[in-house]
Amino acid sequence: MKKEDTVKLISAEGMEFVIDKEAAMVSQTIRNMLTSPGSFAETEHGEVTFPEISAVILEKICQYFYWSLQYSRGKETEFYIEPELTLELMMAANYLHT
Amino acid sequence: MLRKRDQLDNEDGLHRGVSGRYCKSGSSKWLTTTFTRPVVESQRGKGKCPSLMELCTYKIREDIDNYGSFSMLPRDLSQQIFNELVNSQCLTDVSLKAFRDCALQDLYLGEYPGVNDNWMDVISSQGSSLLSLDLSASDISDSGLIYLKDCANLQALNLNYCDQISDRGLQHISGLSDLTSLSFRRNSGITAQGMTAFSSLVNLLKLDLEKCPGIHGGLVHIKGLTKLECLNIKWCNCITDADMKPLSGLTNLKSLQISCSKVTDFGITYLKGLQKLSILNLEGCPVTASCLDSLSALASLLYLNLSRCNLSDDGCEKFSQLGNLKVVNLGFNDISDSCLVHLKGLTNLESLNLDSCRIGDDGLVHLTGLQRLKCLELSDTEVGSNGLRHLSGLGNLESINLSFTIVTDGGLRKLSGLSSLKSLNLDARQITDAGLAALTSLTGLTHLDLFGARITDSGTNYLRNFKNLRSLEICGGGLTDAGVKNIKDLSSLSLLNLSQNCNLTDKTLEMISGLTGLVSLNVSNSRITSAGLRHLKPLKNLRSLTLESCKVTANDIRKLQSADLPNLVNFRPE
Repeated sequence: MKKEDTVKLISAEGMEFVIDKEAAMVSQTIRNMLTSPGSFAETEHGEVTFPEISAVILEKICQYFYWSLQYSRGKETEFYIEPELTLELMMAANYLHT
Repeated sequence: MLRKRDQLDNEDGLHRGVSGRYCKSGSSKWLTTTFTRPVVESQRGKGKCPSLMELCTYKIREDIDNYGSFSMLPRDLSQQIFNELVNSQCLTDVSLKAFRDCALQDLYLGEYPGVNDNWMDVISSQGSSLLSLDLSASDISDSGLIYLKDCANLQALNLNYCDQISDRGLQHISGLSDLTSLSFRRNSGITAQGMTAFSSLVNLLKLDLEKCPGIHGGLVHIKGLTKLECLNIKWCNCITDADMKPLSGLTNLKSLQISCSKVTDFGITYLKGLQKLSILNLEGCPVTASCLDSLSALASLLYLNLSRCNLSDDGCEKFSQLGNLKVVNLGFNDISDSCLVHLKGLTNLESLNLDSCRIGDDGLVHLTGLQRLKCLELSDTEVGSNGLRHLSGLGNLESINLSFTIVTDGGLRKLSGLSSLKSLNLDARQITDAGLAALTSLTGLTHLDLFGARITDSGTNYLRNFKNLRSLEICGGGLTDAGVKNIKDLSSLSLLNLSQNCNLTDKTLEMISGLTGLVSLNVSNSRITSAGLRHLKPLKNLRSLTLESCKVTANDIRKLQSADLPNLVNFRPE
């Protein structure tokens, strides 16, 4: 996997998630950060920090990105959400336009 | 003839024809009189990938009993959860409590089951955040409205069909001076006395008191609401000429609906100063052509409904002064060809309704100059084939209704050049296959009504040209399964009515099973049996299915509904 094909998402605690750029772009917010030239440092480093999003939530979000890609390719499975994560996940999803 | 009743009083539809934004209220989301909830995708999981937001919302809905409060959430998220619960009818008086103090802006609870005064506490806890509230068709009573004083920023309030609200409740809304839109349809408890509460609602743009039978004398209290743009008091048969006087100073009025009231020509004279009035609905009022004197002073008037009034040819020359009009409805008046002479100059006309007037072939010559005409209603007139030649040059015509006229096959070729035509109603017994043959060039047709026409199997060959048809009715009795072969490939169809063709069998259902866009299907009075129902399984969009007088029971359809047709909401037999 070439470095430029991946991005690093960093949680509030500093936990790093390296995922395919294609998956991260499921989020409209991340897509904007990565594609608007010059305006974000993120574009250059391929790194995005989310000081408001905890690792457990960010992990779930990464799972959703990949689930979403599969879904759009025709694999329509259920996406499980742990009840205790729902509200926090929803707030993060709102921020990420996901 | 029965079917025509459905078309009456469809003002809202006609408004859209003119502009669609006349009744724009403060909260820009609502352009119509009844707040409509956001449309939900009925088929989740099909096609578009659900967003994580949506998935979270569904998850919360499933576990709603486990949530004590959403007040820690940002407002837009709790709003989204609220909307989801309402749309899925999962909101109860218990789950409602989780929304206390959520600073919600919009509560669309119109026609929601179970809403009563006990809900008002949580509703009012949204406080100054609440901008719009719809409690239509609820059991909210006068005392429930006391809570609304906490919602001082309320801009839009719908309390239609609330039987338990009367004058006493109105006093509690008199302080809501930010209200721009207020609606109390079908309320028999409101009288002139209670309407004093309206006088302080100085920001009101839109007031709807449709079907309130007790409001005579009360409009004097809205005399000072000079910002008012839309007033609907149709179907208030208590309204008289005297009630028009207080309206004379409401110079910002753009839309006024007083249909089915007792207003006469004299009452209309009070409206002369309403220079911004663009929509006036006088349907069913006892006015005559004399009211045109007053109406000619209304420089902005675009839409005029004089259907079912007391118009006669006498005085119709004054129509020539109304040259700005775009939409005119003169249906069901005792007017003849000599009236149409005076419409000659109305060159801005886009829609003209002459339903059931004494109009014949000679009158149509006066329409030849109306080049902007898109919609022409000639149903139940004396128009015949000779008159159609006057329509040949109206190249912008999109819709013509010739049902119950004496037009015959021979005349229809005069319509063959009207390439903009989308809707054609030829529901008349004397129309046959030969007539259809003359129309094959009209490939843009989306709606074709041949309800009573005598179309046979061989005539259906011509239907192949109408690839864009979305609705088709052929109910003249002459079709067999062989004819349906020519219908089965009309893949845009969403409405298909083949009832009264008593020779159609289950084979028909088999053939149309590929028309997956069908929303409404009627094959009543045929030889369809319950065994044929299985062919309908692929019609997942079907919402209405009518198979009266067939060998099909309600139970058969119910089984099909629960196993295969989740969207089916209306069916017969039931």
